[in-house]
Amino acid sequence: MPGMNNGLNLNDPTVVAAFRAALQHQGLVALLIFAALSIAWASLRVYRPGAASGEVPASGRGATGEPTGHQVLRIGFGLLWLLDGILQAQPSMAVGLPSQVIEPSAASSPAWVQHVVNWAGTTWSYHPIQAGAAAVWIQAGLGLWLLAAPRGTLSRLAGLASLGWGLVVWVFGESFGGIFAPGLTWLFGAPGAALVYCVAGALLALPERWWRTPRLGRAMLAGLGLFLVGMAVLQAWPGRGFWQGTSSGRPGTLAGMIQSMAQTPQPGSIAGLVSGFGAFARHDGFAVNLVAVIALAGIGVAFLVARPAVLRPATAAFVVLCVADWVLIQDFGFFGGLGTDPNSMIPMALLAVAGYRAVTGVSPAAAPAADPALADPSGPGNPAEVLAGGAAGRWREGLRPAALYRSLTAATFGTLTSLVAVGIIVLGAVPMAAAQATPAASTILAEAVSGAATPFDTPAPGFTLTDQHGRTVSLSGLRGKVVLLTFLDPVCVTDCPLIAQEFRQAGQLLGGASDQVELVAIDLNPLYSEISYTQAFDQQERLASVPDWLYLTSSPARLRQVYAGYGVASQTLPGGAMLGHNDVAFVIDASGHLREELDMDPGPGTAAVKSSFAAELADAASQILHTS
Amino acid sequence: MTRPWRRAAPLALAALGLAALAAGCGSTPGRTPAGQRPALTQLSAATSLAAPDGTWAAIPMGTTGPNLFWQLFLLPAADGSWSLRTPPDIATNGAVILAWQGGSGPDSGTLVTGIRPSLYLSFSPVTTTGNGGRSWTTLPPAAGLADVPDALAAGPGGQLAALSQDHSVSTASTAPGSTGWVTLTSQRALAATPAGRGCALAALTAVAYTPAGIPLLGATCDRAGTAGIFSYTDGTWRPTGPALPAELAGQHIQVLRLTRTGSTDTALLEAGSGSSATLLSAWASDGARHWTLSPALRLGGTQPVSASFGGSGATAVVLSGGHGQILAGPTASWQPLPALPAGRAVALALPGGGATDALAADGSTLTVWKLTASPARWIRAQVIKVPIQYGSSS
Repeated sequence: MPGMNNGLNLNDPTVVAAFRAALQHQGLVALLIFAALSIAWASLRVYRPGAASGEVPASGRGATGEPTGHQVLRIGFGLLWLLDGILQAQPSMAVGLPSQVIEPSAASSPAWVQHVVNWAGTTWSYHPIQAGAAAVWIQAGLGLWLLAAPRGTLSRLAGLASLGWGLVVWVFGESFGGIFAPGLTWLFGAPGAALVYCVAGALLALPERWWRTPRLGRAMLAGLGLFLVGMAVLQAWPGRGFWQGTSSGRPGTLAGMIQSMAQTPQPGSIAGLVSGFGAFARHDGFAVNLVAVIALAGIGVAFLVARPAVLRPATAAFVVLCVADWVLIQDFGFFGGLGTDPNSMIPMALLAVAGYRAVTGVSPAAAPAADPALADPSGPGNPAEVLAGGAAGRWREGLRPAALYRSLTAATFGTLTSLVAVGIIVLGAVPMAAAQATPAASTILAEAVSGAATPFDTPAPGFTLTDQHGRTVSLSGLRGKVVLLTFLDPVCVTDCPLIAQEFRQAGQLLGGASDQVELVAIDLNPLYSEISYTQAFDQQERLASVPDWLYLTSSPARLRQVYAGYGVASQTLPGGAMLGHNDVAFVIDASGHLREELDMDPGPGTAAVKSSFAAELADAASQILHTS
Repeated sequence: MTRPWRRAAPLALAALGLAALAAGCGSTPGRTPAGQRPALTQLSAATSLAAPDGTWAAIPMGTTGPNLFWQLFLLPAADGSWSLRTPPDIATNGAVILAWQGGSGPDSGTLVTGIRPSLYLSFSPVTTTGNGGRSWTTLPPAAGLADVPDALAAGPGGQLAALSQDHSVSTASTAPGSTGWVTLTSQRALAATPAGRGCALAALTAVAYTPAGIPLLGATCDRAGTAGIFSYTDGTWRPTGPALPAELAGQHIQVLRLTRTGSTDTALLEAGSGSSATLLSAWASDGARHWTLSPALRLGGTQPVSASFGGSGATAVVLSGGHGQILAGPTASWQPLPALPAGRAVALALPGGGATDALAADGSTLTVWKLTASPARWIRAQVIKVPIQYGSSS
């Protein structure tokens, strides 16, 4: 999958520092938003003492009327999203998620899945800071929103948002949960943890009245039961390798999966526990699979039957099974520095418990009226109404200053927190959306590979050489244009072609300003200094048609003078090696002054890094253009 | 059956069906490959050629991928030891293709090398040396050379011919003021000519020149019993391959090598495939009009790996399994060599005077072994440590 891997070290210090800085800055902004809203809210409530003394219900009252199944699901998944957000803030995540998480998850899926997933992975690898921070804030915001909004429209909106983001994670982060790949098994997370988040989100988005009858709980358990029976059949299906502890001397499907999980960097005691179970599954693979099949089938049938007498033990058994699987097979899911969530078992267990509580914990007669500030009131100033909409007339009414004022003073702390949570989500999503709108990768990648540019302000050494068309070109003749200058070996097999591509991309990024910029390379290999070689290089790199591209050469003696002027070193290496040289670029302003030197060593040379260097070059030229 | 069971049963059946469907997902149905033409034999570019100034040999060294570097060695005619002469300032990861240009007298020619594409380099730099590799001059770059040992040829009058990865054949001149490479033909164009149709041209495998400077092409033909060698005279391609004996009439013939050594063109042919395959050499000294054929060498399940040429049409072949065979010339018969010395790559060299050298490369070390006459065995004669720059092409 091209583009997934930007080639940087997972803990590249430049990227990690930038990631931390971005999180800190955005966190500070989130705190400021929270503080400002809180102060405004508190001030208004003090200014309108009636609001604080009981006109507006306290936040706890609404929560007391929340159906218990709904509550379990909301709080459980709120905490899970919060945890996921925290896990996304791990230092390795910015660089590692596309290549170490997304790409492996899609590796065994069909080509069309890989194609879909590759788009997301490439986007992330091009903008690791913005993408990493967006994932942190969106998930933390979702968690906070779910926790803060127990009932009403805001709660349903939180469910919808959870469903939407869960779908994004399921498709792009989990490659559809691997359902199109071979080896599908519930034990290892099929059909994907994020899909369970989606189901939970969809359930939370249902009207509250649905939760006030046991019907929803029964439907949830029946759905889960149907799914578990299907998974049991899949687990028992012959020929899929789950019945064998070993196969041809190697660990069987299940034992192999467990052993690979045990390799994850994690505390030794946990690794030992998982490894021990892996060894057990290797020796007693049939028994382990038999237990799994019977447990899945039995619990599934119990959920389908939904008789009160069996629901409680079935739910308890399912929770025990989930916890056992989570610990012994899924290895908790969040170790190794790149764990994005605690995998599927905790969400599954939450879903079952919520379903069980939705069946057993409902007493419709005792259901209190919903909190007027949160639950679909008809009054115009309600914040939930303002957010969620309704009749167009009510929207207009709700947006009047007086109505907004009433809304804010009437809002509960939960409502206020929900609004802050929405702000946090927007805070994360907007920079990523802005980055995605730019065609080039973030310049942080180039900086991570080669460091920051060195500023200069000296006259650039002059030269008079011959271009690829045989015309004489001098630096003085290029006055009036910003010159991006580099030195390239036309028969180089590694860096020079990459640098040339970066120059070509930089020209494209400059757009309309490109006619004020000249892209210039000087032949760095005196042995291969014939024009036929610069022409062959241009053809190879599709530079022949780039209007502002000059590839200059001359006699070896004259070329060496230019190398000396710019401090460019080259060295003949023995044993069939190409010419050794440093990779540099210079930015020369329109008056012929050297303004910056950039280290152009393209490092891993991935598409993301190339794009990043191109952006760095284009930025450097643009800045000079704007300051001159 | 109680009511809950009645409700559960269809759902369970549906789950069963879905699971059965899912169990089939991701599995790959077995497929039996259809009947195919036997795979073409592809020789390594590891080789040696005898020239008036000495014997040149190209051999891969280092490890693999970007850390595999082809090296060029010379055994000067007036000296007894091999030395490293790899062209400088160019990465040789792709292979060094050799061609001798000029006549057969001493100091009357130059060695031309073409570098095969590797990594991001897609064309082939061409260089020449007339002083035993002490200095090099560049010639216009060719399109990326094909992965065959005879992808580059030089004529006695300064002509150059190249067989490219895109199956085209181009020519150029080393004369000053040369305008670069010009396309002469392509596999498709040649296949459409009467000569190409006559052999049912399947693939171009070699370029060469006759001693008179006429371009030759080697090919694999789909028509059994036909040796695909073509000459280009008067603007027309003509079949000029040797007539093969009747016992090879039903065999597919591949031209594995086609090269000029002095005043002789030498071709190495493989007839048939698998355990019944045979190898034979063919020589022509009259512009490839009349060929002399060697006896057929039964390969007996081994595969030809590389071939080298000495003066007077001598041929040495490295076979898989560490075997080697040598053919002293047009009137000689194949002689087996003692088990070849071990190495990641081995090339044979025929420096003249009946001598046979084996160059065995392993990592950065080249060991030169010389064959003694009686008893026939390999004696280690020289060890050359090559300062390979590992990582320089990564």
